[in-house]
Amino acid sequence: MKGALSFLTPRSTIALLVCGVALLIAPFVVDRYTLSIILLALLGTYLGQAWNILMGYCGLLSLGHALYLGLGAYASAILFVNYGVGPWLSVFVAMALAIGAAAVLGWLGFRFRIEDVYFSLLTIAFAEIVRIGFDNWSFVGGAAGFFLPVNASLSHQWWNLRGGPLFFYYLALAMAVASLVIAAVLRSSKLGYAFLAIREDPQAARALGVNINRTRFLALFISAAMTAVGGVYLAFWTNNLFPAQILETSKSIEIILAPIIGGLGTLMGPFVGAFLLVPLGSALTDGLRAIGLSAPGVKALVYGLILMAIIAATPNGIWPWLARKLGLEAREP
Amino acid sequence: MTAKTGWIDRRSLLAGASATIAAPAIVRAQGKSLKIALMLPRSGFFAQAGQSCYRGALATPKVLSDLGYNVEIVHIDTESSNDVSRTQAEKAINDGAQCVIGAFESGNTIAIAQVCEQRKVPLICNIASAPQLTGQGYQYLVRNFMTGPGLVTNGLKLIGEVSKAANLDLKTAVFMHSNDTFGTAQSQAMGKIFPTLNMPFKIVESIAYDPKAQDLSVEVTKVRGINPDLLMIVTRAGDAIKLTRDMVRQKLQPKAIMSPGSPGLYDEEFFKAVGPYADGFIYNLPWFNVKSQMTQALEASFKKTNPNHRFDLDGFNAGFTFEALLVAADAFKRAGSGDGETLMKAIKATNIKDHVMIGGPIMFNEKGDNPNIGSASVQNIGQKPTVVYPADVAVAKPILPFPAWQGRK
Repeated sequence: MKGALSFLTPRSTIALLVCGVALLIAPFVVDRYTLSIILLALLGTYLGQAWNILMGYCGLLSLGHALYLGLGAYASAILFVNYGVGPWLSVFVAMALAIGAAAVLGWLGFRFRIEDVYFSLLTIAFAEIVRIGFDNWSFVGGAAGFFLPVNASLSHQWWNLRGGPLFFYYLALAMAVASLVIAAVLRSSKLGYAFLAIREDPQAARALGVNINRTRFLALFISAAMTAVGGVYLAFWTNNLFPAQILETSKSIEIILAPIIGGLGTLMGPFVGAFLLVPLGSALTDGLRAIGLSAPGVKALVYGLILMAIIAATPNGIWPWLARKLGLEAREP
Repeated sequence: MTAKTGWIDRRSLLAGASATIAAPAIVRAQGKSLKIALMLPRSGFFAQAGQSCYRGALATPKVLSDLGYNVEIVHIDTESSNDVSRTQAEKAINDGAQCVIGAFESGNTIAIAQVCEQRKVPLICNIASAPQLTGQGYQYLVRNFMTGPGLVTNGLKLIGEVSKAANLDLKTAVFMHSNDTFGTAQSQAMGKIFPTLNMPFKIVESIAYDPKAQDLSVEVTKVRGINPDLLMIVTRAGDAIKLTRDMVRQKLQPKAIMSPGSPGLYDEEFFKAVGPYADGFIYNLPWFNVKSQMTQALEASFKKTNPNHRFDLDGFNAGFTFEALLVAADAFKRAGSGDGETLMKAIKATNIKDHVMIGGPIMFNEKGDNPNIGSASVQNIGQKPTVVYPADVAVAKPILPFPAWQGRK
């Protein structure tokens, strides 16, 4: 753990503490609208971090992470509604299912040396197959969706993730912090260095004795399991699941935007990306409405242009640039 | 001695002031307006329907004002996204919305419902068909729309009734549906409901197709080989166009082509693309009552606010959106307050006899659903959606068997 924190300079320690305290007291300072935006950003941070472990550290581009998100969400929701199994238990089933799916995908990909862009296509194909399957599987509600009960008598059962917005806010915060810690621990571990070695040059890593397939499997399993946990959260937070929403490719793209904009392979990239993109979307909505511009679609256009400008200005993501500007980059590997 | 204050004496002044203070809130509410957040998917996947609802909302204030209602509508785009729906509902309530209406799609509506429930602000669902929406114990939610199974049940029953009314003997049917989310959901509902209805015909084949396919010639050839009496279809506009073109090309001519309840066949792009070949299709849906005075008032207002759009094509979405706004305005007038709890009680006690859509009075059962919504058989006649059944709301008789493709102009 001590090694995991070695990237922290005194200045970055202070910055992290300030962010942490601000997020802790946010529910008592900001209104519910702002809090709902911060919650989405925290969730984006968590899911982005899960994906970043696979792509940012190990160099495997997955464009189908909605698969693990959906499997986690559906597994926990079905176990809760149909069998009365609480989410604290079903989360392990969700992770196991996601790891199982990742194992099949990884076996196909790594065993048959499906690399680079072809691996990405494989991830999309897997997610799409599952989405179409779920669309037609009546046990999971099919295309008509699966619903969790929103009963007033259950509203205080926080142990069943039936709490209010404050509960879900702190849970999202805890998950975001946990994902940061997991990523930090991984990066300073032998496994983390193996990830980085494979990302930089798989052949050189192999020559150094790194078992490439085993290491890639581990990265895939960790990332899939973490994403499935995010799915459990989503299921109990939204209380409804539709394959067309949670298993869609657009969901996978949504997950990867934050780490790409924030900075691939960096610890703080997903956090910075999520805390830029989510408020940006809301600010555009509010801003356009404030100036009386009632033209749906303009927001998407402006949003896209801003993203293009960010990528053009900071091709490696915002965090490396920001860290340099703020003098926080010293020990970032 | 009586003190006089100008033309009014002190006693009268005191009595007047007391009466004003003690007057029921309902009197004071007359001058105030209800602030409503209207949340619709005006961009994103459901934008076409969201825009159609929006056009109905633009026509609404004039009609409500003429009826003595006073509302302030804030238009919010949900972007067809659950996350945006949730955060924008929070923002709308922060900004003073006393009632929320929306949101066309079930997932978006549930996201908003959770916020409304926590903030104790009424949510009136204009359109969303997931049965579970109202079955989960939400206290601040009502829905003035049918559930998915309700739509299919009514749609199927009407197929039987309208064909009987036209003396059309249907023995066999093929069911064709798109394999997207909507089509699959309709197909699943059909699978459950059809066997329970004792229909006069049997479904000999069910064909799912990809709505994004270049053409549907293979599927149409398959139907042609079966040669059913009835072709039941669940489409959206894009695939309805491709399906029609291939049916015309292959001269597929069943006795009837009917939809048990889906969009596509009354969309503007469908009429524009296939022209006279749009005629003859029948679709069974909740529809606006052309004979209702309120519908006529809404149509007149619609023509002024949306001069480039046809009310008969937007009427389904516009009508339900109007009715949701009417329910809110009416409840506010009766409650005399925009307080969430008081307003919700008034909404649940709604009983509006004169309204736009076909069916009995607008009222809500214990679950929060309106059980009185009716469906009608609507046929494209002269490239215009025309109600042909039931007789009390019909403006024309159904043209059956299906008119020949050849010779249409």
